[in-house]
Amino acid sequence: MSVPFTLRSGGPGSWALRLAAGAVLVYLMFWIPTQASNGVIDTCITALTLMAAAMALNLLLGYTGQISIGHSAFFGIGAYTTGILVSKYGWSPFQTLAVAFVVAFVVGALVSLPALRIKGVYLALVTLSLGLVFPQLIKAPKMEWLTGGARGLDKTGFKFTKKNPTYEIFGWNPWGNLRGENVKPFLYWIAMIIVIIVYVVCRGVVKSRAGRSLIAIRDNETAAAVMGVNLAVTKGLAFGLSAALCSLPGCLSAIRTGNVTPDSTNLTVLGAITFLIVMVVGGAGSLWGPIIGSALYVFVTDRTGDWSDKEAIPAVLRPFFGWSHTPPGSGIFAVVLIALMFVAPFGIVGMWHRVIGRFVKVVPRPAGTGTIDAPATAPAEA
Amino acid sequence: MSLLRAHGLTAGYGPVTVLNGIDLEVNEGEIVVILGANGAGKTTTMRAVSGTIPRSGAVEFDGHDISRTSPDAIVRHGVAQVPQGRGTFPELSVEDNLRAGAITRRDGAGAVAADLQRWFEQFPRLAERRSQRAGSLSGGEQQMLAIARALMSRPKLLLCDEPSLGLAPLITKELFEVIERLNREEGLSVLLVEQNANLAMHMASRVYLLETGRIVASGSAAELSADDTIRKAYLGF
Amino acid sequence: MELFLQRLADGLSQGSVYALMALGLVIIYRGTGHLNFAQGEMALFCTYVVYQCGEWGIPIGLALPIGMIVGFALGAVTEVALIRPVAKKSPFAVFIVTLGLFQFLNWLDGAIWRDQPLPNSGVGSVQQQFPSLFPSKDTDFITIFGADIKLQSVGVFVLVLALTGVLFLLFNKTKLGLAMNAVASNAESAKLVGIRTNMVLMVSWGIATAIGALGGVVFAGINHNVNLTLMFTVFIYGSAAATLGGFDSPGGAVLGGLIIGVIENMAAGYADEWVGQQLKVGVAFVVIVVVLLVKPSGLFGTAKVERV
Repeated sequence: MSVPFTLRSGGPGSWALRLAAGAVLVYLMFWIPTQASNGVIDTCITALTLMAAAMALNLLLGYTGQISIGHSAFFGIGAYTTGILVSKYGWSPFQTLAVAFVVAFVVGALVSLPALRIKGVYLALVTLSLGLVFPQLIKAPKMEWLTGGARGLDKTGFKFTKKNPTYEIFGWNPWGNLRGENVKPFLYWIAMIIVIIVYVVCRGVVKSRAGRSLIAIRDNETAAAVMGVNLAVTKGLAFGLSAALCSLPGCLSAIRTGNVTPDSTNLTVLGAITFLIVMVVGGAGSLWGPIIGSALYVFVTDRTGDWSDKEAIPAVLRPFFGWSHTPPGSGIFAVVLIALMFVAPFGIVGMWHRVIGRFVKVVPRPAGTGTIDAPATAPAEA
Repeated sequence: MSLLRAHGLTAGYGPVTVLNGIDLEVNEGEIVVILGANGAGKTTTMRAVSGTIPRSGAVEFDGHDISRTSPDAIVRHGVAQVPQGRGTFPELSVEDNLRAGAITRRDGAGAVAADLQRWFEQFPRLAERRSQRAGSLSGGEQQMLAIARALMSRPKLLLCDEPSLGLAPLITKELFEVIERLNREEGLSVLLVEQNANLAMHMASRVYLLETGRIVASGSAAELSADDTIRKAYLGF
Repeated sequence: MELFLQRLADGLSQGSVYALMALGLVIIYRGTGHLNFAQGEMALFCTYVVYQCGEWGIPIGLALPIGMIVGFALGAVTEVALIRPVAKKSPFAVFIVTLGLFQFLNWLDGAIWRDQPLPNSGVGSVQQQFPSLFPSKDTDFITIFGADIKLQSVGVFVLVLALTGVLFLLFNKTKLGLAMNAVASNAESAKLVGIRTNMVLMVSWGIATAIGALGGVVFAGINHNVNLTLMFTVFIYGSAAATLGGFDSPGGAVLGGLIIGVIENMAAGYADEWVGQQLKVGVAFVVIVVVLLVKPSGLFGTAKVERV
């Protein structure tokens, strides 16, 4: 197959592209909290929350092929760990992140024990019931002293007081005002840091030897076992890590809103399904898939959020959505999801690879060598 | 008169072509045997005729073009296949397996029941196990069940894919006798794939020799065994 | 004793709903090996249709068949248009499509009928409560051994038994049932005996969804209203029932549903402090995990089923 351009992975061309993309991302990263309106920042925090959760799920589903429709439970573990420690024991929210990580890791590893024997849609069933049980567990009378029952917990975020210092760099202040007047940029940065942590961990795992074991498990479990991959340990770690990472955006949600209730969307099964859907739409099994899917999802739901009011719908679209009593965001995404399964099972990222493959040939660097003059191999299909 | 006629039949699995444009004919009342070594394309030929794999080329049955017809519709035209490895319904009882064989028939429950009775008489061992699950039968019994099931649809042509596979010689002999008798008494046309040349040659009206997806020789059983080169190279006796 | 009988009756009538859900799941699973995650939401859509019929003044005796016919059509169309094309690609794609359908139908119900329990006089509902198939007033009960058993519970239970009988006849005495059994057992061979497997799968999905619709209507009747989250727990209980009974056994599904309904009510009743109304759904979770670990084929399923 002849293509107009050839790009060597690790060559100068690819580095130039990476730098350019990185520069745009960093610019955006700083533009949002300093220039955008509070509303936009808020929407971005929502998107970042979803990104972290979807990436965590992707580590499990995209790379080991284990289906979970119960990650809302791990999200909830994060939210409630932070909520309980902050509101009942007066911890600083930052400290609770580490605790939530450990708790969710342990619970995730425990869930993975049955997952060793239960596969595919049956695992989906188990995790789905886990996701349904979690909010009920929170509401159970025996748990009320700890979780606050159906009412939930409040005062779970930061206490912003007049005494807080401001951190300005020569008058430039991208972090917002911590005296309680303008805290959105501050929350934005917490969200951003969590997303970066989750991304770095996922990338580290995926590109490592361990990551190759995960992919081997996904593609052929028996063969992986024969090649010396310890199934039980690898799957357990993957499940635990995925759960632990998913708890971090949960903590964030408690910090951000200052309260936790068992019925908020991301803690219920609908949340778990949303994580799954945005991940698959973006592209399961690719690092950027969940990020793109989440951004798109939040963009669509945000833009159409007030469409239950007919007047808010742009006139061109009014005949199509005017009849709806609820915002069409989740419906649109469901349709996109189903349509993607027909044309591009690997989501938007997979589709992108296919389109770009017609124009640019990416020559991967041969494994184990630093040189680029080795014989070119066919580009790996996503 | 020709019942089945294939011309330039080509088929394979995914990118691999196994059959390279073979011509094949089965006349009414004939037993036609396809011989060939492992991997020659015998089973592929059967699947291509019954429509279970994608194929190209012309296939005509009883005056109908069936080259684009789905497998279930081909059965309704009157071609019944006994697939390799028997392909019975293991969870269903022997009787239900036979009833499933007659599912395409439109001539009423009475006629079906009569046929059921008839095959139970023909294969008494199936009658003894009529309410047992098919999965619990022995290999030979399952093979008989598969053949009886195929016959329940009252086919004009019976496709048999290596019926002797995995069977004791005595049972194979018994099986072939049944097929021969059906051919003689009912005029059933049969297209049979075999590795066991010695056995199949006896009852064959005509024989095709298949090698790597091509027909390398054809003719009556007597003609082929008379040819020394063919006999030594392919028939092994 | 009275309390026990009452709880048993409640358990059996709720279990009947789970049995209906499980039956739908099993009928689809037998044919294709797919678990339809949208089963509950498909049933919910039909339940809303029945509500709407009630708003238009159609009596429940007529509205129920309408809802079931809508269910049959919905199931059949789903199989042909959505499931069959992606089934060739991968089981994962089918899973995602059923999940997408779940989300889509849940949104669609809300979009058409708003996200609040119906009937609701606030949005102009004519009906006082969701139409019940059986007498459901507080005074409608019979007394057995001193226990007051609601007529509704009896009716629902009898209905499910009758349906089970009809399905038994369908599976064992008709050509369609034979074809369904044959496809479930060996789809390749089913084609080779001339069974239109595509048609069988389409009809299976149709029947399964129609049964689900019946379950939704019955449950909404017990619940007095229909709302967007009505079927979440019913689906998971139904799945637990199918797991318990064996995913390829319709009889097992019914029995599994009844068992789970009874366990659930007994657990909520007798271990009130620990299980209570909140943690009832934990019963489903425990049953699913334990059965899949100990006996993956369920009580009545065949072991050939590969759990992948």
